[in-house]
Amino acid sequence: MLSTSHILSCSPPHLVCELAEQVLTRYDREAITFISGPRYVLVQLRVVDGVAETVFHAGEILATETRLELNGQFGFGMVIGRDADHATALAVLDAALRMPGNPHADLYPRIAELERTLRAACEQRFAAAAATRVAFETF
Amino acid sequence: MGYVAVRGGSEAVARAEELVDCLRLLGGSTPLQLPQIRDQLRHAVSRAMHEGALYAPLLAALAVKQAEGDSIEAAFLLRAYRTTLPRVMASLPVSGRDMRCLRRISASFKDIPGGQILGPTTDYLIRLLQPALMHEDVRSVIAATERYQALIAAGGQQEGEIGRFPKVIDYMRQEQMIVDLPLEPPAEDPYDITREPLIFPCPRSARLQALAQADTGSLMSLAYSSVRGYGDAHPTLIELRYGYIAVQVAHPLTGEPVVIGEIEATEAEVASKAHSVTNTNEPPRFNVGYGFAFGQSELKVMSMAILDSVLTQARAGSLAGESGPAAQEEFVLLHTDGIEASGFVAHFKLPHYVTFAADLSVLGRARDHHAQRQTRLNQLVDQAIKEQ
Repeated sequence: MLSTSHILSCSPPHLVCELAEQVLTRYDREAITFISGPRYVLVQLRVVDGVAETVFHAGEILATETRLELNGQFGFGMVIGRDADHATALAVLDAALRMPGNPHADLYPRIAELERTLRAACEQRFAAAAATRVAFETF
Repeated sequence: MGYVAVRGGSEAVARAEELVDCLRLLGGSTPLQLPQIRDQLRHAVSRAMHEGALYAPLLAALAVKQAEGDSIEAAFLLRAYRTTLPRVMASLPVSGRDMRCLRRISASFKDIPGGQILGPTTDYLIRLLQPALMHEDVRSVIAATERYQALIAAGGQQEGEIGRFPKVIDYMRQEQMIVDLPLEPPAEDPYDITREPLIFPCPRSARLQALAQADTGSLMSLAYSSVRGYGDAHPTLIELRYGYIAVQVAHPLTGEPVVIGEIEATEAEVASKAHSVTNTNEPPRFNVGYGFAFGQSELKVMSMAILDSVLTQARAGSLAGESGPAAQEEFVLLHTDGIEASGFVAHFKLPHYVTFAADLSVLGRARDHHAQRQTRLNQLVDQAIKEQ
């Protein structure tokens, strides 16, 4: 089972933005305060090497980050690539899903649907790779 | 003819740049779109990313286009772009164990749990040009879609942790086949060569970072030299895997892991038998090297892993015979960065009028000195010395 952030960061951005729109319909513009971003940033990738378990820097990842408050609730959105809408939608959803009392529980079925779609695409991709599994003949 | 310092030429420089753009677009072909480059020139994009040390596929495609296919120039453009952005955090450490593999092979063991998955590769094909590629159009795309569906059907139902496989090296460690690498003092953060200078001997984290962003050709040449005879590498591929890794960062409020997306990456572990030959104090085991790079970059990670193994053995004093240049860490790490090396070599194209004027002056003095030696007596002395 994938985490919510995994599902939302890897799903098609327009579908994630639709979810955020659904949240925003419940709030006035004044309820949203941008703390920083959306902005393009670097995330330094740390990798554990497979030999000595040494952690090292393998390079930077270009990402877009938004930090905001939705009705006083902090929200953080970050996604690989340059996509301000996607990052902001992630921040809105992060804030919405952290609100006390779970007022946005209606998002969960939609997120589960996104997970199913993502999983199906993933299954197809890896099924194609699995077709190249070697069957050795031994003599 | 006098040589003097000069300035100017900015108009000529601007026009030269214009000329590049004009010649690129005036050949009558359709201008390349970035998704075309990203999807159809994957290896060029991968190389720009790992040598540029920036994971950004679409921008790497732009860099490849702008550099007209010059891989080092494309990496240079990405690395320059990188300096314009703030680095806000480091990711949580990712591991190849968590990779969902499209390709996963071992040259050490035939039967590995999960099997050998060849994935997208042309390794096993004869290198023949495919004339059919000259005439691709929308029908080719439709045909490719159909072939892909057939592959999916052939692959069958995927269950459990899709694309996840146990690491072969973990099995080897469990069986005590591989050597334990020297322990380093625990560091809070890994070394960062973008912020601190490389000082030798350097920590392993610095070595791996330097190799990960090094030029593929340079690494390949040095690795090849060690395998071929100017060194002591006897590599066998334990495992190579290419696929997707989810990247996580810590949530700034709660600290909990947040996935920000997935990257494509390649990693390899390579075993070398040299340690078992020379170190008699410990039970014989294989030495191992590690390679990692963005995108599908197999030659890079293989070369990196071979060099990592050689450098580790050299530091442990367990190489047999002549160690060669590939075993000298300072030599390897300071001469394999493509951006630094190409920058230094290419800068000799830039005006050196003042330094060359100094060289000319030295040449003039040398000539004068030589002429003074041409007296009759000097000639006789020179001849006598030669005949001794």
